[in-house]
Amino acid sequence: MSEAPAEPAVQVRDLVKRFRVPIDRSRSLKYRFSHLRSTSRYRELLALGGVSFDIQPGEFVGIIGANGSGKSTLLKILSGIYQPTSGEARLRGPFSPFLELGVGFNPELTARENVHVNGAILGLSRAELERRMDAILDFAELREFADQKLKNYSSGMQVRLAFTVAIQADAEILLMDEVLAVGDAAFQAKCFDVFARYRQEGKTVVLVTHDLAAVDTHCDRAILLDHGTLVADGPAASVTAQYRRRVGEAQEVQDTAPTADLANVERWGNGAIRLDAVELLDAAGRRHSNFETGRPLTVRCRLTAHRAVDDWMVGFAVHRADGVILAGTNTKIEQARLPSLEPGQELTVEYRIPFLGLLTGTYRLSLAVEATQHAVTFDHIDQGFTFRVNSTTWKAGQFDLGGEYRVVSEVRAAEG
Amino acid sequence: MATQALPAGRTTRYLSLTRELALTNFKLKYTGSVLGYLWSLMKPALYFGVLYTIFVHVFRLNQRDFPLELLVGIVVFTFFAECTSNSLGAISGNAHLVRKALFPLSALVVSQSITALITLSINLSLIVAVAGPLGRLHLGLQSLLALPLLLELYLLALGLGMLLASLHVFFHDVAHIWEVMTQFMLYGAGVVFPASLIPLRWRGAFFLNPLAQIVEDMRRALVTPAAAWTGQLVGWEAAIPIILSVALFGAGLLCFRRLAPTFAESL
Repeated sequence: MSEAPAEPAVQVRDLVKRFRVPIDRSRSLKYRFSHLRSTSRYRELLALGGVSFDIQPGEFVGIIGANGSGKSTLLKILSGIYQPTSGEARLRGPFSPFLELGVGFNPELTARENVHVNGAILGLSRAELERRMDAILDFAELREFADQKLKNYSSGMQVRLAFTVAIQADAEILLMDEVLAVGDAAFQAKCFDVFARYRQEGKTVVLVTHDLAAVDTHCDRAILLDHGTLVADGPAASVTAQYRRRVGEAQEVQDTAPTADLANVERWGNGAIRLDAVELLDAAGRRHSNFETGRPLTVRCRLTAHRAVDDWMVGFAVHRADGVILAGTNTKIEQARLPSLEPGQELTVEYRIPFLGLLTGTYRLSLAVEATQHAVTFDHIDQGFTFRVNSTTWKAGQFDLGGEYRVVSEVRAAEG
Repeated sequence: MATQALPAGRTTRYLSLTRELALTNFKLKYTGSVLGYLWSLMKPALYFGVLYTIFVHVFRLNQRDFPLELLVGIVVFTFFAECTSNSLGAISGNAHLVRKALFPLSALVVSQSITALITLSINLSLIVAVAGPLGRLHLGLQSLLALPLLLELYLLALGLGMLLASLHVFFHDVAHIWEVMTQFMLYGAGVVFPASLIPLRWRGAFFLNPLAQIVEDMRRALVTPAAAWTGQLVGWEAAIPIILSVALFGAGLLCFRRLAPTFAESL
């Protein structure tokens, strides 16, 4: 190691990548021959439009951005899998050739055989691999399954093996695409332990991921890409915060569209009463699907009776993105009186939340209209609406508990 | 341009990668079948059985040495067909790997040629081991010529493999065209009949085809050294197929090198 002014581990200068996407995806010779002269059969797609940055040795950098922002393309150019259209990307020092875990795995081979093949792709000799084999199998916790075909492995086992193989590369720079999207929490912790060790050893890690929380926790620095341009580069927490705000704004623009599509939702019920429209309203009474923690939110639904109904209720539930119900209530629980309805009569009912307790995340809404006494469903819309909540606070989890801290004793010297 | 990953010992690295990939191909080819590796012997043998029945019993091609000449032809042809058709899908069939990992892509094709070479060696050894003691082979000094012929065959098949593998990424038609070509070669290269059946005035053109020349001269080297070699049949023009083989190898290599950087984004 020289003490000379540190050269960046990764150097990216005015990197441009254009893809030529065929408009007609026919890849037959007949097509090519009959369209020899036409050059306009391609659409140019600008994946990266002049990106520049340096990464110093030992930095742990997260590259974030929406789908199609160019982050994976950037990583592929860094590793040399794609060629840049112009500009340059220079890596100093050996890097790990796998961008994703387990790409070289073959389900018909045993763990041991897969280690051999993937080790060879990493550039390790057979002798070296044999020397490390026991350590690899132990780290992956797969020693007793070493001679089973990979197709009989659980996905967790495959991921453990893939990760263990990937870290065998004697690389100075690690390029990883969505590594964190796989595996359970324990495995992810293991990943980050290894990454932390790399950091101590002065290795450089570049991570492309959607997991903003992981970037906050583990990266020194984050780079935010948007439609192929670098829009933010700086301390991880501030860049991810900026990204969260952008996502919120982008959705707000999209969501001002005035119609809620009730046609394409999963719904059932006998139709005695039907929901005609469901709206989420903000403090000013405007339709929205973006809300802020601590501000008002109103769920409003308009419904029409198609038969005479006198004893009924309406309610809703809020789901987490994975379907778990976080909260729910109905007019019966809340002891709200609803009028009897004759066929053809309409009614609008709303539920007002003065201080929204949900924290940042995407949530889904289910609604139901039912008979109060008997389990008869008039209309049920299952997780038909999605809305987002953005928080300006750093509170953890899904809910703001709304409490406050207080110091309840005097400051005293400890006795004894 | 990104610098090469792990530059240390590139040749060694390439060789061990190719070996591992070739072994994997060989294992995968027969995985799940009861007879396993035996199929690499059974297939040409069965093929031989069928063609032998047709040509000797139906078409009455009763020359004494024809069966072994047929067998040599089939073994050479099997290598050619296996090597080229497996190479053809070597890149497009590994799209996931090609898009997500950086390694010398040519190793995928070369490993396929090695796998086919393993089968060829087994088959040839078996012919020599079985037919040799039966006195049906004429092994002598001229048999050493089989080695340069095998080298020519290998260069031809690998060159075509490289060419096909790179073109298949961009044009899927190549697979169909090549399938027909391969079938055609069975007849067009004189695999299933002796070259003596070809009218004299067509022989010059016939032996322009490197595979035809290799098959014929392999027969001289192993089975019927006394008959005319292609050099004796067509004179100096016998050099053309050899030059063609080497040229195809060069063209395949060049084409692959030119196109390889765009494989990942074209798949």
